[in-house]
Amino acid sequence: MTASLGRILVLLSLLVSTTGAVLGYAAGWKRSADGLKWARRFAFAFALLMIAATFVMEYALITHDFSVSYVAQVGSRDVPLWVTIVSLWSSLEGSILFWGFILGIYIAGATWLTRNEHLDYMAYTIGTWLFCGSFFSFLIAGPASPFHTVAIPPLDGPGPNPLLQNHVLMAIHPPFLYLGYVGMTIPFGFATAALLRGRLGQAFLRPMRAALMLPWIFLTIAIMLGGWWAYEVLGWGGYWAWDPVENASLLPWLTATAALHSALVMERRGSLKGWTVTLVQASFLLTILGTFMTRSGVFNSVHSFTQSSIGPTILVFLAAILIGSVTLLAMRIDSLESDSRFEGPVSREGFFLINNLLFVLFTFTVLIGTVFPLLVEAVKGKQMSVGRPYFDSMVVPIGAALLFILGVGPALPWGRATRDQARRALLPPLIGAAIVAIIGYALGVRAPWTLVTLAFGGYAAQVTLGQMWLPVIQRIRRGDAAGPAIIDSQLRRGRRRFGGYLIHAGAVIVIVSIAVSSTMRTQQEVRLTRGESATVGGYTFVFTGTEQKNEPHRVSTLANFDIFKGGGPGGPGGGTKITHLAPRMNQYTAMRDPLGTPDVYTTLKGDIYLSIMNIEGDAVGVNVILTPMVGWIWWAVLLMGAGGIIALIPGSRAVALQARSETPVLQGDEVGAN
Amino acid sequence: MNRVVLIAGILITVALVAILSAGLGKDPQHIDSPLIGKQAPDFALKAVGTGETIDLTQFRGKPLVVNFWATWCRPCYEEHPVLVSNAQMMQGQVQFLGVVFQDKEEKIQQFLNERGTAYPTLVDQAGKTAIAYGVGGVPETFFLNKDGRIVDKFVGPIDSESLQTNIRKAMTQ
Repeated sequence: MTASLGRILVLLSLLVSTTGAVLGYAAGWKRSADGLKWARRFAFAFALLMIAATFVMEYALITHDFSVSYVAQVGSRDVPLWVTIVSLWSSLEGSILFWGFILGIYIAGATWLTRNEHLDYMAYTIGTWLFCGSFFSFLIAGPASPFHTVAIPPLDGPGPNPLLQNHVLMAIHPPFLYLGYVGMTIPFGFATAALLRGRLGQAFLRPMRAALMLPWIFLTIAIMLGGWWAYEVLGWGGYWAWDPVENASLLPWLTATAALHSALVMERRGSLKGWTVTLVQASFLLTILGTFMTRSGVFNSVHSFTQSSIGPTILVFLAAILIGSVTLLAMRIDSLESDSRFEGPVSREGFFLINNLLFVLFTFTVLIGTVFPLLVEAVKGKQMSVGRPYFDSMVVPIGAALLFILGVGPALPWGRATRDQARRALLPPLIGAAIVAIIGYALGVRAPWTLVTLAFGGYAAQVTLGQMWLPVIQRIRRGDAAGPAIIDSQLRRGRRRFGGYLIHAGAVIVIVSIAVSSTMRTQQEVRLTRGESATVGGYTFVFTGTEQKNEPHRVSTLANFDIFKGGGPGGPGGGTKITHLAPRMNQYTAMRDPLGTPDVYTTLKGDIYLSIMNIEGDAVGVNVILTPMVGWIWWAVLLMGAGGIIALIPGSRAVALQARSETPVLQGDEVGAN
Repeated sequence: MNRVVLIAGILITVALVAILSAGLGKDPQHIDSPLIGKQAPDFALKAVGTGETIDLTQFRGKPLVVNFWATWCRPCYEEHPVLVSNAQMMQGQVQFLGVVFQDKEEKIQQFLNERGTAYPTLVDQAGKTAIAYGVGGVPETFFLNKDGRIVDKFVGPIDSESLQTNIRKAMTQ
């Protein structure tokens, strides 16, 4: 019954999206206002059907209706309710349904927000969105249907993959990732419409950029949450392994970041239109590539869903979109470009261009490293993997260069800078560079790339903070009170610019923290029996014994540790207890090997990380990892997200216009434009 | 029409799609076992139920399917009927053996009583045989030719089609 209802809803959504797509393109071609109206209605209908189908699935999951194939596959009466709810995206079929659900919400939202605007472009835009919608409806209706009827329903199911039950971050990371991935469909629709029309006006740039910004924020946070999850759950003490699927989430992020920057140049100077559109198209294509990577069974990864038959279907869709986008770009890119001249390399747009080239280089580096093993296996028939050394040796210099650009670019004015201007803008931040590098050296940093990163970070920090507060300082100098100056300059008129610099500030902290945490960590394996202690990196770890915890879906063994600083409890110096950690081993009913869960103590300075290797009777083997600054990464990424949200909040038109006419053009007044 | 964009775009498209499609149909979890092509490690283990000791060498002259499994492994439930029906179908041509490790004999017996069997199930008490075969997780299935050489192995719950393909390999190689 429930399965049939779900199937009907999905089939209807396939019908509605396909019809809507054809209608949208036809309305765009004929410039029909009525056609556009109908395309909009179909967009809303698609969203409603997708949302309804997802609710039907959630209902089946929560009521343990094992006659629905997906519930029989991932449901279990033993798991807590939150696990049951998030089971929606724990396996392939459900995750595609979830994709459709988010796509529906995005399409409905974007259709609603543009209801009175950009009439010339919108029919093509909605047509493109619904074309993508029809592909996912097709997947849900056919190759990846979660709504098959199980003839003889089992009494209970196995429950979702234990890895997903192991940490609450698993309830948050995938939705953010999907919000990032799926959201890229919206700017793709705008970009495709611009190509189909053969022009891209300033007014249409605004929704495209906003539509890119929103999924960018989600994707930024999702990548961080994924790293954080890996760190908190997987037990090897790292947060990024260059796993193919991690790379898959990074790829569209890189091109989208590049596009957000080139869109600023486009807005300001009218140039780089074709390039920006290309980057937007690429961001969407890379999300589809990412879907292929996780769901085709071609790549081995912690994220991979089990082998499935939908790989070829996604590949066909990817190829079709690639060919369509390339052809469209080749036909229309020349009509998009403007006649604006490039003013010279020592200017803000010059550095925007270098930034873009670096991001594209970064994208290709990661892409090649990810697909290279497939190429080797296809050609030589031998298995191989591209590991850390390749990625580290390529990405570290690119990352450092990007950090350098992040400092230098915003310091320079738009247009050609004179030698004197350049000197005045570029010399003072060297102080910041020196201070941060010296502090790092004093604290024991010796790795050359880390010192370089610290110096670039210090430079970029000084420029970013200086630029961030420049309008406030100028207003205070003019005699304004500090409070209103801050609120008005940063949160009202200059929101986009302030948000942009917050993102930059976050990015500086992230890059520096990654450099420090990956080169300065201490790791030691210790074996202790109850009552024994070991000292690692100035901390004393006292093993006080194990305890068992029984839950319906798992049995856990906890190893208790008291951690002291400055010597053990009774030792010389009489250390003080700073915390208690209890890493655990969990035995799930549906899994052969036990899964460990590390325990982490986070401070501003760094983390103490304990992960069990094995427990035998009264003895425990534990991996002690001390990593400086790792917690900074998570918070700095949240700062980037907050900056993105501040930049995204639309200002009232009156304020924006007022701001434009009143604010004097300041030297280096913005990351981009107001 | 911008030729440079078109040609560059098509080159990237073709390269990417070609590489990705080459990977389709392959099992990414498949790791080439160093044992493939080598003589299978010998074992002599007790059979569940009868208590009889069964030696690997006694089946020389016949292709062998050696399936490592356990009653606590869910995917093993899935593949069990596939193995049993194929063993019945190919009786006389191919010998099937089940090797259970990290498990209790009464549980195995109960499992077999409930779900039926068509070939000997052996108990790998200390897990030595599984270690000798480099078993990384259950289920894992090894295919031996009539000379006792390992021609291939399969990781995870096996389906009828893969089982037949590998048996054919064991019969011809």
